[in-house]
Amino acid sequence: MTDSLLRTDPRLPTDSLLRIDDLHVEIPARDGDRRRTVHALDGVSLDLAPGEALGIVGESGCGKTMTALSVLGLLPGGARITGGSVAFAGTDLASAPEPVLRGVRGNTIGMVFQDPLTSLNPTMTIGAQVAEPLLLHKGVGKAEAWRRTEEMLRLVGLPKPGERLRTYPHQLSGGMRQRVAIAMALICEPALLIADEPTTALDVTTQAQILELIDELRTRLGMALILVTHDLGVIARRVDRVAVMYAGRTVERAGVRALFAAPRHRYTQALFAALPERAADASQPLATIPGLPPSPADRTRGCRFAPRCEFASERCETEEPPLSTDEGASRDAHAFACFHPVPPDADPVAQLVPAVPAPVPVPADDVLLRVTGLTKDYPLRGGPFALRRGAAVSAVAGVSLSVRRGETFGIVGESGCGKSTLGRLVVGMEPPTAGSIRFGERDPAALDRRARKAHRREVQLMFQDSYASMDPRMRVAAILREPLVIQGIGDRAGQDARIARLLDDVGLPRGAVDRYPHEFSGGQRQRLGLARALALSPSLVVADEPVSALDVSVQAQILNLMRELQREKGVAYLFISHDLAVVRYLADRVGVMYLGKLVETGPAATVFASPLHPYTRGLLDTADHADPGDGAGVRPSAAPLGGETPSAADPPSGCRFRTRCPYARDICAREEPMPAEPGAPGHAVACHFPLAPAAR
Amino acid sequence: MIRFLAKRTAQAAVVLLLVSVIVFVLLHQLPGGPARAILGPKATPQAVEHFNHQQGYDRSLPLQYVHYLRRLLTGDLGESYKLNQTVTAVLADRLPRTLVLTGLSIALAAVLAVPLGVLQAVRRGRIADHLLTGAAFLAYATPVFFLGLVLILVFSQRLQLFPAEAPQADTVGGILSDPRALVLPVVTLALGIVAAFSRYTRSAVLDNLSEDYVRTARAKGQSNARIMARHVLRNALIPLASLLGLYLPTLLSGSLVVESMFNYPGMGLLFWNAAQGSDFPVLLGVTLVVGVATVLGSLFTDIAYAVLDPRIRSVP
Repeated sequence: MTDSLLRTDPRLPTDSLLRIDDLHVEIPARDGDRRRTVHALDGVSLDLAPGEALGIVGESGCGKTMTALSVLGLLPGGARITGGSVAFAGTDLASAPEPVLRGVRGNTIGMVFQDPLTSLNPTMTIGAQVAEPLLLHKGVGKAEAWRRTEEMLRLVGLPKPGERLRTYPHQLSGGMRQRVAIAMALICEPALLIADEPTTALDVTTQAQILELIDELRTRLGMALILVTHDLGVIARRVDRVAVMYAGRTVERAGVRALFAAPRHRYTQALFAALPERAADASQPLATIPGLPPSPADRTRGCRFAPRCEFASERCETEEPPLSTDEGASRDAHAFACFHPVPPDADPVAQLVPAVPAPVPVPADDVLLRVTGLTKDYPLRGGPFALRRGAAVSAVAGVSLSVRRGETFGIVGESGCGKSTLGRLVVGMEPPTAGSIRFGERDPAALDRRARKAHRREVQLMFQDSYASMDPRMRVAAILREPLVIQGIGDRAGQDARIARLLDDVGLPRGAVDRYPHEFSGGQRQRLGLARALALSPSLVVADEPVSALDVSVQAQILNLMRELQREKGVAYLFISHDLAVVRYLADRVGVMYLGKLVETGPAATVFASPLHPYTRGLLDTADHADPGDGAGVRPSAAPLGGETPSAADPPSGCRFRTRCPYARDICAREEPMPAEPGAPGHAVACHFPLAPAAR
Repeated sequence: MIRFLAKRTAQAAVVLLLVSVIVFVLLHQLPGGPARAILGPKATPQAVEHFNHQQGYDRSLPLQYVHYLRRLLTGDLGESYKLNQTVTAVLADRLPRTLVLTGLSIALAAVLAVPLGVLQAVRRGRIADHLLTGAAFLAYATPVFFLGLVLILVFSQRLQLFPAEAPQADTVGGILSDPRALVLPVVTLALGIVAAFSRYTRSAVLDNLSEDYVRTARAKGQSNARIMARHVLRNALIPLASLLGLYLPTLLSGSLVVESMFNYPGMGLLFWNAAQGSDFPVLLGVTLVVGVATVLGSLFTDIAYAVLDPRIRSVP
């Protein structure tokens, strides 16, 4: 009914490796006593030539993972394919019986999943797990299987593969585990690799290494690739073509460069506009998509995106737009399912961004928070180093920074760099091992108990997982009232009025007070988290990865809200994130952390435009931008940062980054570099050999 | 791994010492003191005093404890009042028989419970699952003595398939050579464990089936049966191994009932008779053995954990 144009066209090449046609997947669900059907996939069509790389993008719940799973018949319990076909090398996998599917799985189609820790069997050796498909499908002997397994582990870049064969998953780092998972998927040299969010659980630099590896192996083994991701940055440089999904349907399909240059579907356009790195100007708010994706349980007529689309007309609400193209029906044609597409030559972003007043300039000398030589060691007890007396994990090692009143100070770094510990120290949730925190004129550590309690209202915390950080059995009113009661602010009526104002501020209806946290979506809960943090009118909010769990369109809403409230209330943010694009967009000044050390600080624009520390430079180079580049086969300008972050229990001597630094020399091992300002004032770097300011 | 085990063993030793303290204190809580217990209420004060001096009961408590501990280490648990034997000798005679009974019960329980639990997990929500769940709760809720009576009534009196009395042979070999007589006691003791273990197996397997690594195994093309055998079972059985050690005290108390019911001359029957006859040294000896068994059971659990789970193994 929908994709007739593409399906019946005789000129289509018949040599596609995988061809999904109008695929429908339904999951029976129960809503109280009422039985209903969740339409997880509702018309997915895509195809893939041998050796080609296809990206499937979309936000959570759009059905991208379901599409990947249905190719291999790995749908979760209860879900079944109710329509359409999955043609792979001449077989319809959608209707194939289990034994046929088993012969395909791990053999001609390999799959890599998101979380490399849970995806591997914890009690089975790596060798046995990687060799399993080989023994199963290829009928090779044990000795031969082990030989090939070792070879495969070497191919995916596992150091000392021979020794690794007998180790267990928990003995490897996250990046290494994902390499093992890739080896497992590729051991039978499949014609197609499906990678479902393969780098989402990994750090930026590890992510770049893994994507690079997949790329390289794809060329080497001549296989096709389906890369499923929510991250437009990941897909931009790694695939040939992209399918955009929304609410269980393919809404747009095009070559990667065509799509990134000129998206046609209004949803894709809005999605791009919501990316922080696409913001035309950091002083402007991000474009957002109002509302939420429809629940797959509510099947609506017409275009699924219509309720959130500002271009929607009456026709959009009654008639389902087919996936069609205006470029003639070639396989590479740019197809989209939209009645009111973006004109081909329009600037996709500019149109959507509303203009707002510029932010209030931050006075340069009004220092709110001054942190000097802050250090936090966690003593190791009972761990592998227990025998070494005084052994400790050096989580934060001598960090000095200052946050001005009303500004946003961004802390960037990979997991384990100590950025969250730094946040907890600043809030006062943990005492520092050494160093001082001065707040305005006060030193919180020197205050007596009562004064310290009063002081706490000045600094509040906003968490990444706002659901886990709220008592599931407390209503919103109680959650927001709690800090007011603790600080003894106002009577009951006064508190009620304040709660109502807070909800207004963060854009939630006042009726929300009687609801429980689980009744809200992720974005709404993060609004609640912000409301709770702001309840005491603090002068500083420490926001620890506040948007990392959110979809792009919702992330943009929260970032805009944070910025708007900052302008209204003059609150300062210590914004902790691993996401360079988000920090770059939101922060006035940034600090880059590596293994407990602040290696570079300075104005956001300067640091990102001309980093002085090799680590910052490496981070910026390896981060995937949502930009496919302009020429064919363009790759990131520098090699991704090699190696892995050393253990904080045993940090390298001298400069902690030296083990991964391309410029390291003897002095780096002997002497710890002190922060200096070799370039512009206010732009400090702790490096013996800082990069030339104009390096980029 | 070695350090882990050494640490665990050292901890077990400390707990054992505590067990000995408790038993020692219990010894001194005997009504009228040990002298009255042994010599009887009509003994003269001189006789009591003489006895106390002879046994060292007139010395200070810590000294007595050291003395007691020394005797304990040489295997001297005192003499039975009634049996005219040393407690050690009695226990050495009875303990192996109880071990045979409980060992067979555990083996039977494991052989039955794991497949039943797996079956329930695989057929979750179907009729087989519901039936087995009902049966398990019934068996779990039935007291051992009642279950034993029912089994005797049905299989011994009515059907006359098995004798109602356990083997009476003196040696372990003799007991094992009469398997028909062993059936009812072993089944009585095992059924409750089967019920509990099959429930645990069911939920452990269900938990593991929803793990990502099972999806990975399916994505490799592995069949469901082999995923169960190669991947799920081992992970699911790790928590079960810990349960086994913790079930030891329950088993031993169960054997008390079963042994007296089937007249099986093991430690349970010994305890039963000693309690009836106020044979305190024997009672305390059995208590000590049960205490030691409990501690060793949990030590065994830890070792099993370390052997089965590589993640524990590498953490000292």
